[in-house]
Amino acid sequence: MNLSTLLGDWRNTNAAGSIMRILCTANGDGMNVQTWTPSRDWGTVEAPLFAFTFDSSDAGAFAANYDFGFARVRLQANVKAGVLVVVALTSFHDDSGRSNHFDREFFYRVGS
Amino acid sequence: MEIVRESDRVVLPNPRPRVHVEAMAGRWTKTNESAQWIARLVIDVDGDALNVHVFGGGSGPTPDDWGPAKTELVYASNVATGDARAGAFLAHFRLPEADVEMQANLNLGLLVVATYVTFREPGTNANRFTREFFRREDS
Repeated sequence: MNLSTLLGDWRNTNAAGSIMRILCTANGDGMNVQTWTPSRDWGTVEAPLFAFTFDSSDAGAFAANYDFGFARVRLQANVKAGVLVVVALTSFHDDSGRSNHFDREFFYRVGS
Repeated sequence: MEIVRESDRVVLPNPRPRVHVEAMAGRWTKTNESAQWIARLVIDVDGDALNVHVFGGGSGPTPDDWGPAKTELVYASNVATGDARAGAFLAHFRLPEADVEMQANLNLGLLVVATYVTFREPGTNANRFTREFFRREDS
């Protein structure tokens, strides 16, 4: 798939956002995603890719899973009008009483 | 307390609050008059989960009736509440040719439904992302 829509260094449009930065890099025919919060590097994971139409070879969306043991985050992201729209589905697997919750944040590409 | 991001640093009583899944239940129909991937959804409460029944909208390789699926998880609006009025759910469907991950969230009274479609066999169709909007049928 053509990755040009997704590849790059994406920064949160909100300086107080929970996810600070997402880096999308090519990995053969696929793509890797590295994610940072202000206090933590979540690491790099392989991200399945998705097009916007069934007959397209242009990737415009991806998903990524982060498993921290006590919590899991499913990232779902797509580019709309040049903005990376990122949904974070967080589930907790500890006894903290915290709710599984949904977040959506927006990212711009550095250098574009 | 372990956190994945700063907003997770909250102290709450146990057990965690129940997520009010009822906020997303109902009959939802597409806002777009044109054919699309999904035409409508019927969502029923099933304890702390939801049963999501999807009906195809005639665009692309979408069956007329996807059948029902129980949500994998229902997500609250934030880490410290069970309120799901800005929450979401995750569900998975197995269609004849493809596996579909559905994520739907409530936004300003609309149900925003995203699907991540992965074909099990390589073919002419690309794995695809969709996002479509639905209103309550009685609204």
